[in-house]
Amino acid sequence: MNTQTRPRVGLFVTCLVDSLRPNIGFAALRLLEAAGCDVAVPQAQTCCGQPSFNSGANDVTVPVARQTIEAFENFDYLVAPSGSCAGMIKENYPELFADDPIWGLRAKNLAARTHELLSFLVDVRGFAPRGAACKATAVYHDSCSGLRELGVKAQPRKLLGAVEGLELLAFEGDETCCGFGGTFCVKYSNISNSIVGEKAANVRASGAELLLGGDFSCLMNMAGKLHREGAKTRVFHAAEILAGMAGAAIGEEN
Amino acid sequence: MSARAAIFAAIRATRPEVATPQTIAAQAAQCTAQMRASLVPLTGDDLVAVFTARASAEKVGATVERVAELADLPQAVARYLAANGLKTQFALQPDPRLQELDWGELEPNAPLRPDSAVAVGLALGGVAETGSLVFHSGPTAPTLYGFLPLHHLVAIDAKTLLPRLEDYARSQLGEPAPRNVNLITGASGTTDIEGVLARGAHGPRRLHIVFFG
Amino acid sequence: MSAAFDLRVDKALADPQLKIALERTTGNARRKRALAVAAWPDFAGARTAAAAIKDHAIEHMAYYLDMFERNALASGAQVHWARDSEEACAIVVDICKSVGAKTVTRSKSMLGEEIGLPHALAAAGLRRVETDLAEHIIQLANETPSHIIWPAAHRTKEDVAELFANFHRDKTPTTDIESMVASARKELREDFFSAEVGISGANFLVADTGAICTITNEGNAELTTTPPRVHIVTAGIEKIVADTEQALQLTRVLVPSATGADLTQYTSFHCGPKRPGDLDGPEQFHIVLVDHGRTRMLKEMPEMLRCLRCGACLNHCVVYRAIGGHAYGGAYPGPMGSVLTPIFDGLETTRDLPNACTLNGQCKQVCPVDIPLPTLLRGWREKSWNGGMEPVKTQIAIKLHAFAAARPALYRFGQSFALPLMRFFAQGGWISKMPLTSGWTAARDLPKPPAKSFMAQYAARKGTGQ
Repeated sequence: MNTQTRPRVGLFVTCLVDSLRPNIGFAALRLLEAAGCDVAVPQAQTCCGQPSFNSGANDVTVPVARQTIEAFENFDYLVAPSGSCAGMIKENYPELFADDPIWGLRAKNLAARTHELLSFLVDVRGFAPRGAACKATAVYHDSCSGLRELGVKAQPRKLLGAVEGLELLAFEGDETCCGFGGTFCVKYSNISNSIVGEKAANVRASGAELLLGGDFSCLMNMAGKLHREGAKTRVFHAAEILAGMAGAAIGEEN
Repeated sequence: MSARAAIFAAIRATRPEVATPQTIAAQAAQCTAQMRASLVPLTGDDLVAVFTARASAEKVGATVERVAELADLPQAVARYLAANGLKTQFALQPDPRLQELDWGELEPNAPLRPDSAVAVGLALGGVAETGSLVFHSGPTAPTLYGFLPLHHLVAIDAKTLLPRLEDYARSQLGEPAPRNVNLITGASGTTDIEGVLARGAHGPRRLHIVFFG
Repeated sequence: MSAAFDLRVDKALADPQLKIALERTTGNARRKRALAVAAWPDFAGARTAAAAIKDHAIEHMAYYLDMFERNALASGAQVHWARDSEEACAIVVDICKSVGAKTVTRSKSMLGEEIGLPHALAAAGLRRVETDLAEHIIQLANETPSHIIWPAAHRTKEDVAELFANFHRDKTPTTDIESMVASARKELREDFFSAEVGISGANFLVADTGAICTITNEGNAELTTTPPRVHIVTAGIEKIVADTEQALQLTRVLVPSATGADLTQYTSFHCGPKRPGDLDGPEQFHIVLVDHGRTRMLKEMPEMLRCLRCGACLNHCVVYRAIGGHAYGGAYPGPMGSVLTPIFDGLETTRDLPNACTLNGQCKQVCPVDIPLPTLLRGWREKSWNGGMEPVKTQIAIKLHAFAAARPALYRFGQSFALPLMRFFAQGGWISKMPLTSGWTAARDLPKPPAKSFMAQYAARKGTGQ
């Protein structure tokens, strides 16, 4: 493959992966490279600005969004291992700058090239993992932003279907919100607890050994609840399985 | 300023009307057509069959039979009453076409009361796709005949069936609006306790439809 | 969160019966809706068309309301206009008094709840009889509705059985739903005929005929509006539609979204009082058209005026399913209620409602008229933020985070201290308690962070040529 056909991808790591689960970032790097991309990780990235945007604080979100746009607009694609953060950049940045002709245009321009990792691999790169194996039963949680804003549903299942030994089980409420909701989960901790409690019960009822998903935020919420309840379910981002980097699960020590 | 004037002023402040009635009507027609284009296709051309399949579905819950002509209605009613262990007395909708039938042994002269067991009526028409009966209130069709009895038996002329709700609405264009239009789709039901369907909440527990013609 | 909302939520979460009742009702509703939608190949197209029908009427609201009024007057109806709930209730009470009413029957109307009509009728000394089964249940229990389609969604059949055994004349104990329904039928029969006034809402106001449309499953609307001498309709002005055809087309998406049926059992159009030769029907027919914030919504959130009150957003909302309707503290709960209540009661006291939402988007997905509920909810958050209504602690946290997030070097500097500090609180791979994280750790554990962030590890690998 020559360099002309290798798209330049800027990896938006997401703040939670950056701080709490670097393995997902490295798995994303490996998958994107295996899918024939030239990947760079711009140093000027932090958070997509969702916590403030979803709190209605547009004024303080603007500088965060501008910085992200500047850091990524010269790549062919922005790819994030999260439907939530990709959705923020794709759907909400243009909304945030709706009244700003210059930044509005730059936001739309970036939005058009922004993708969630798993759907990017399938829809844009036609990628199929080779040699990945994981002998286990698993359920897949469809994260809300990815599912409803970006249409991520079939892609992760297609990718995981190619993993040798992995058996995906159906489970009740796979499309139901886990109760994370960004700042919601700390502002309304008691309601969030009730929602994630139901989610954890459904995961346990499925009998699956693994819980997989495409958003670390939701996975961390569900994993934290499952662990608090003493469940043995192991939780991974789908990218970790696909990249063959599923060593220690979320909350397991290396 | 009157409440009316204040409300209209507030609406017009954000929505000053600039379109002509013709333009507005054309836009409305476009929306209607858009919905029509999205409807579930009707299964088959036999409207009575379409109606029957729908009306007797579990979630609608009516029973349907067909007789040759209206004169056969009394026998159909007699069969229904006998099958359900009901008395031969019932309230008859004051429609002359029903009143002049030969009711034989039956007693169609009971007054309509809050606790009437049975009323027999005649629908003005029907809508096949939803299994709905159409009643227009008037001197020969008081509204309450469809709501007070526990058993409502309704005769309907098969020729009056229209394919869709939209066809009914269009058939009324230019006609004076009746005081009451009742589209009755199955027996009275409620899901108010735990979302579980139970019949006969306030209206009829049973709806039996007799096609003729 | 505000103390009042907090209390209501805690009360709801502490009630295991509530969770059971909510799950039975909303679970049934979700299953039935899913089946109905699956049987409609182009439901997406129908949704778009339904939204267009509502938008059309909203766009030409003055034109159609004027047409409706002319046609209603021509049918012999009396039309009244009310700017707010006080005016609306006063009109209804005055009509009741003018005919010397003692007993008033009511068929379920969410607008009636919204404007506080039950309270106004009681204050005027009128005996109010709720005829919808669920409204009857909550009237016996002295409660308010907790769902816009199933007002008694918070009550299990066992609760209802107990209420009926206490209050009905027929004391036969039973938890069989059919028998309970039969008992209510018997109980309410006489009241339909002793009331002087029957009050209903309207699902649609039909401009080209001047008729109002009610849709019910039980038949109580017709029994409420036909026998009494006076029928009063209270309706929001956004219920206007161009014609009968469009009213029927909207029921096509409304009913499956609400109950999973194609059509309710009774779709009725009421047009004016009793006519010459009629054997039944009211002698007076009054229509009270209510603004109560709708003209403001026309300016600020016109999409919300599309709302058909089907309740699908409630049934699919994880928050509603956790806390039930009463915790919301307004007439309308769930996502649509969280958008509407700040309009009626002011944002200052209701800012928790748009905030207590995960913005997961399922409400918009199931809305039969495609209302962008998450966007509208976020719009309220923006107003709350801009108006300085958010708690000071939240404001500081959000501003600090955004300040650091916009300065990558500072952000990473802070992160390089925070991560090792957090590791100090971990046991095994998890943190179950540490300062400043109680919002998270109250409910769940937090995975132990790595010693170095991804960015730091990546930079180190790059540096060593890995």
